[in-house]
Amino acid sequence: MKKKQIAITLGIMCFILTIAISIQLKTVKNSNSTVSVSLTDDKLRDEVLRWKEKYDYAYEQLTESEKELTSVRQDATQNDITDNSKQEQINQNNMLLGNVKVEGPGLQITLADNNVAATTSIDPSSVLVHYDDILQVVNALNNAGAEAISINETRVITTTSITCEGNVIKVNGEKISSPFVIKAIGSQGRLYGSLTMAGGYLDILQSYGVIVETKQVDNITIEKYNGIINYKYVKNN
Amino acid sequence: MILIAIVIGCILGAVIGIYTPMVPYTYSGYLAIAIIAALDSVFGGISATLKKQFDLKIFVSGFFGNAILSILLTYLGQKLNVDIYLAAIVVFVGRMFNNLAIIRRYYIEKWTNNKKNKEQQNLNKND
Repeated sequence: MKKKQIAITLGIMCFILTIAISIQLKTVKNSNSTVSVSLTDDKLRDEVLRWKEKYDYAYEQLTESEKELTSVRQDATQNDITDNSKQEQINQNNMLLGNVKVEGPGLQITLADNNVAATTSIDPSSVLVHYDDILQVVNALNNAGAEAISINETRVITTTSITCEGNVIKVNGEKISSPFVIKAIGSQGRLYGSLTMAGGYLDILQSYGVIVETKQVDNITIEKYNGIINYKYVKNN
Repeated sequence: MILIAIVIGCILGAVIGIYTPMVPYTYSGYLAIAIIAALDSVFGGISATLKKQFDLKIFVSGFFGNAILSILLTYLGQKLNVDIYLAAIVVFVGRMFNNLAIIRRYYIEKWTNNKKNKEQQNLNKND
């Protein structure tokens, strides 16, 4: 009799416990709230890493096939003089398009956000580098005859856009952040002169409190454009 | 008998739990703390059985009493803006670990004793 009683009570208790657990599981599963924020964070991080790996792999393949393309082109144009000149033309065009790594004398400008605490009357926004600052600098460089420009190793080409997306700056759709290293190849004297002249844009930036540094470098390397230039609507006339 | 009752209870509970409507999300916190309290009682009961100190009255009152008390404490904590349920979780889970350790030790000792006895028997036979 006593054993029966114990069995029945235990059975009832297990019954209640499992009901409660299954209800709770269902509720937690159906509500979108996350039990632990760090868990979702980890998941996101995982995904980012996976995508990055994929990207790296694709990029490697791209470089490889580009190399192949060049070697094939070279093989094809080895024998003929007219083909040789064509090959040179292709190289020239690629250089202009930004499809190859280039080097030469030039100017290196570093713009960085200033860390001055916004305790004084300084507007904290004025000591930060904004996208239009970069745009102005690139414009000034182009005006001074720069032949190749890169911002934080992102090549500036004909289709480049410099945009402000929330609190990040995007160049060619790639996020970049302070410090911004702008490299330009061209006549050192002219670039330096036109950028640092009194009343020039860098001068204005410096007066606002942005950290500006200009350096003439004899041998600047500018990486090639990472993306693919696609023309869909333009046609040869 | 007891095992059969437990299994039947679990299966019935799971089946009914699947078909019951879910509780509003606000109350699921209370339910969770009640589940933890109940689980703590279950492990306590198992370890008490192993120590041969099991008492049904204590077990049942602990099972329901702890669950209800922890729900009330959580409610009180919410009214006072203190996360009392954290304390309840710490206590219950800590006790769960203690009880699990007791259960583990009991079975490991039993196992080693059995082994020793067998060896002794073998030695005796050989003699």
